[in-house]
Amino acid sequence: MDPLVAAASVLAAALGIGISTIGPALAQGNAAGKAVEGIARQPEAEGKIRGTLLLCLAFMESLTIYGLVIALVLLFANPFA
Amino acid sequence: MELSDPSLQPGPTSNESELAEAQISQSGDSMDDYYQLKNGLIISSSVIAGLFFGPVWWMYSLKVASSYLLGASVGVLYLRILAKNVEQLGTGNTQVGKGQLGVFVLLIVLATQWSQLEVLPVFLGFLTYKVGILFFVLWSAVLSPSTNR
Repeated sequence: MDPLVAAASVLAAALGIGISTIGPALAQGNAAGKAVEGIARQPEAEGKIRGTLLLCLAFMESLTIYGLVIALVLLFANPFA
Repeated sequence: MELSDPSLQPGPTSNESELAEAQISQSGDSMDDYYQLKNGLIISSSVIAGLFFGPVWWMYSLKVASSYLLGASVGVLYLRILAKNVEQLGTGNTQVGKGQLGVFVLLIVLATQWSQLEVLPVFLGFLTYKVGILFFVLWSAVLSPSTNR
């Protein structure tokens, strides 16, 4: 692999995973914190709150996964190599 | 009269203890909803992966279909780990989202390094869990009035 392409790929992978993680990480922390607050206020609704949190986290984390896929493909199956 | 007399110590009255027991009981009942949702999501994701496996084999090849099935299996595993993390949230576990991402990273690294697997079917198979979630939520919210949430 051309050293320039290799260096650019590593840099792109690092930037890609770093930037794509910021938004979902903030959102997940916010959602989990609010859910725990809600459970503390209404313990009788714990199951529904946790269920909604599970659905929200599953969709939020897929945004991280998209960035992770791009980074891993650039590192291990680079199409420009 | 001594202050160490246990009868004089401030403690929960019978009404307060009954209220606390009722709240614990209600919490246990409401967690049944969560376990039902968790099992429903896992079952619907597995069924949809099984339903897609045949057409993928027929339209492409066994290699692509097996890659898809591996991705779908890891997607279901990911969902189980995520559900377990959410279940333990607030009861000692303060983090969500390390183990399940590790599983996904292992899957993609395996798919890129092993020539018998293809990356795109593995990734699309992994995303089958989202189809399962959408199907289950739509089914439980719209088509099934008995479990309307």
